[in-house]
Amino acid sequence: MQDLVQLLVSGVALGSVYALAALGFVTIYSATGIVNFAAGQFVMFGAMFGVTTVLQLGLPMPMAILLAVAMMGVFGFLFYLGVHLPLRTQSPVTVVIATVMIGLSMQNGANLIWGSVPFRLPSPFGDGTLTVFDSAISTHALASIGITAVLVAALYVLMQHSSLGRVMRAVAQDFPTARLMGLPVGLLLACSWAIAAVLAGFAGLLIAPMWFADAHMGDAIALKAFAATIIGGFGSVPGAIAGGLFVGLAEILGASYISSAYKDLLCFGAMVVFLVARPQGIFGEPISERG
Amino acid sequence: MNKKNAKNASLILALVLSLGAASLLPNAVGEYWVRLTNAALISSAAVLGLNFVLGYAGQISMMHASVAGMGAYAVAIGTVKFGLNPWLGCLIGMATAGAFSYVTGILLLRLKGHYFALATLGINVSFIIVVSNLVEITGGSNGLTGIPALTILGFAFDSERRFYYLALVAVVLLAVFASYVRHSQLGRSMIAVRDDELAASVSGLNVTAVKVTALTLGGVYAGVAGVMFALHARFVAPEDFSTSTSIVYLAMLVVGGEATILGSILGAFVITFLPEWLRWLGSAYLVIFGLLVLLMLFLAPRGLAGLFGFAWSKWKAQLSSKEAGKWRFSK
Repeated sequence: MQDLVQLLVSGVALGSVYALAALGFVTIYSATGIVNFAAGQFVMFGAMFGVTTVLQLGLPMPMAILLAVAMMGVFGFLFYLGVHLPLRTQSPVTVVIATVMIGLSMQNGANLIWGSVPFRLPSPFGDGTLTVFDSAISTHALASIGITAVLVAALYVLMQHSSLGRVMRAVAQDFPTARLMGLPVGLLLACSWAIAAVLAGFAGLLIAPMWFADAHMGDAIALKAFAATIIGGFGSVPGAIAGGLFVGLAEILGASYISSAYKDLLCFGAMVVFLVARPQGIFGEPISERG
Repeated sequence: MNKKNAKNASLILALVLSLGAASLLPNAVGEYWVRLTNAALISSAAVLGLNFVLGYAGQISMMHASVAGMGAYAVAIGTVKFGLNPWLGCLIGMATAGAFSYVTGILLLRLKGHYFALATLGINVSFIIVVSNLVEITGGSNGLTGIPALTILGFAFDSERRFYYLALVAVVLLAVFASYVRHSQLGRSMIAVRDDELAASVSGLNVTAVKVTALTLGGVYAGVAGVMFALHARFVAPEDFSTSTSIVYLAMLVVGGEATILGSILGAFVITFLPEWLRWLGSAYLVIFGLLVLLMLFLAPRGLAGLFGFAWSKWKAQLSSKEAGKWRFSK
């Protein structure tokens, strides 16, 4: 029983990180239609910015985290200028290959900047544990779940109940009309990229204390985030969260009850089953054709 | 008609001359360059296969390396564990890769665009997980060693130079067959599906069948590449068939020129030799590599083959301004 509680909490904590990564991916997909295959590298950059501000600059923790998140926002903005603008008129095939190649360059660039030795990023919440139902739960896991919940709530309020969110949704729904109405569409799309980058940055900062932080951490997270997106429903925000939690729980429970070597097959297997049997995912709209 | 015959004759002459030059090549360069050329020829076979899938049928497959891996592991397991003749192993490897692609196609090809790309990415990752963990059968991450060399009448293709001729013949045959398919009804159907799926299906094409055929054909080509890889290195290990290899195959096709046979081979060669030419960049190489492919994508979407075609058309335009308007890049 105490094992199960412990596993459930760490599964949900890992799942919330995947959900954040998937949310960043979905934000871009619904705002711009771009399928960002470099999404995992965004998460890695978040963790590595944390390495710079926390470990290398040695700033006080709250300031270091804020600075790392702000750097992600700026990075998202630059990504809009450098990648989104040239990609905007390209075919989907070109977009996929281009973002794959950008991901490759980001990964190897990070390898150049930060080296190939993994970093141990400390948790902002310490290494303590709490005792719940007789089982030891790490504070970092609980805090990860809490922060994800706060971020999801903030994203919901921003998109549904603020004027910025309203115009951003307008741009996502109908780009030409939004432009004709005189909205600053470029700036709003840049905002979407910044928001996505910040969400990915949080994912990176939260997952780095669970694992190690290095230039190659992005691929594994990206694959889980893609699987989460497909399982939950492409382009759906509740879907990204449900999918992320599913993938995180499947990974942790699968590793301890089934096989730790094959734990990842569970989530990719589920992804393929969903793609074949229910391509719209749990929360997606039923569309006969996808692409 | 006469003009066409003359053109064909000159084309054949050019081919014979370049093949003649190619057959002398191993004597002119060092062992290391022959080894690289062999690697490029093996990649050419894989990229020619990817060209059916992405270039003609327009489907982004990110599992191409795992299909080649199916072929490589089939021949490795067949020869090492069951002591099969390597030639029989080759056939089994090609068939395994083709069957794997066929089944994947049946399951996944109703998906389009990035859905298919994500699904195939998942398949490649799963392939690596399975191969790395089935230690008794695949040797796990240590791989399988002791794959025998191919022999014809006692002549073993066991050195770089000897293997080169085998690989050259294989790639020429694959390219000729690819050209035949391109100009057959099947080739035209694939391009129709790529250009406008709805129009193709309204015209009576079975879109899914065409896509599955393209994927299976591409799978057999990848199988040939995998079999060649196993019999060249005489060793297989999971990391050679990971998603990053699939991405390299995509990059080769994009750089060489999507939907051209010459471009597929050109891309395989350029990207195999690029690390040698850019050795002075040191560890920055992979960063530059990604950006180069990106630049190619934006500035020359038809790849190197397109650039050469463009230069060729300019040159011809100077010769006769009349014909310039007629020239079209053949897709």
